Amino acid sequence: MTQRMTCEQAMRQFFAYLDRALEGEPLHAFETHLEDCLDCCDRLQFSRRVDAFVKERLVDAPLPEGLEDRLRGGLRRVRDAGKA
Amino acid sequence: MGDTAEGGPGPRGRHQQEFEDKALPYLKPLFRLAFRLTGDPAAAEDLVQETYLKALQSFRTLRDPERVRPWLFQILSRLVIDRHRATAREVPLEDPDDLDRFSLYDQIVAEDPLPYSDNLHDEFLAQFPDEEVRGALLALPQVYRMPLVLLYGEDLSYRELAEVLGCPVGTVMSRLHRGRKALERELWECARRRGLIKVWTP
Repeated sequence: MTQRMTCEQAMRQFFAYLDRALEGEPLHAFETHLEDCLDCCDRLQFSRRVDAFVKERLVDAPLPEGLEDRLRGGLRRVRDAGKA
Repeated sequence: MGDTAEGGPGPRGRHQQEFEDKALPYLKPLFRLAFRLTGDPAAAEDLVQETYLKALQSFRTLRDPERVRPWLFQILSRLVIDRHRATAREVPLEDPDDLDRFSLYDQIVAEDPLPYSDNLHDEFLAQFPDEEVRGALLALPQVYRMPLVLLYGEDLSYRELAEVLGCPVGTVMSRLHRGRKALERELWECARRRGLIKVWTP
């Protein structure tokens, strides 16, 4: 017999659920709570939106010109210094 | 000994070549991560350079050549944390329980910044220019920013995050929870600063 989850307990699991890190009994208990709790469904939906909202706004910065060459140069200098 | 000036074919040269072959293909994701963590291309470049130099020094200790990417991420994240420790007064920002209790969802409902909206929560988010959202992420302490950027930007699992951050999965879980709460609150504070929310006292 499992205890029913409270909203407060459910909210502690929101992000783990969104990140697909819940499994087994905790996942079952969480999903059972959602079936009965519209309020938590709305909140969860909002958390999902915020996640997507931030994720979409991460920038993919282009590599600075010449970085790879500078890097190779730096690595070789270290090696050569180590050898001296 | 037995090495040539050009870096091969002596043992040191071979070692270096192997390192470059294995590690340099991750330059793009590494720079992307560094840029998202620092918000500054020059700082990101420094960080990446330092990461590769450290990585070269400890390349011999890398057992599994399949795990180069998390290993590089791990070196970079340690550098970020160490630098942060050296420069910032990393006082705990506040009582983590207060942070845990913060809910942007409730805050929006309670203060109702868009009184005529049918879709209050979505419209609240829609007000933010992209730059401010990135700014909110950059305003978080690294201990929260790092796992969030790795999760959002690189899709790491909790286990991979634990490996990169060098902490147990439970710690990853609580940092991601608090990190999101801190981000929610940062967004709220940002809306307040921009005058999107009229604060009134009854």
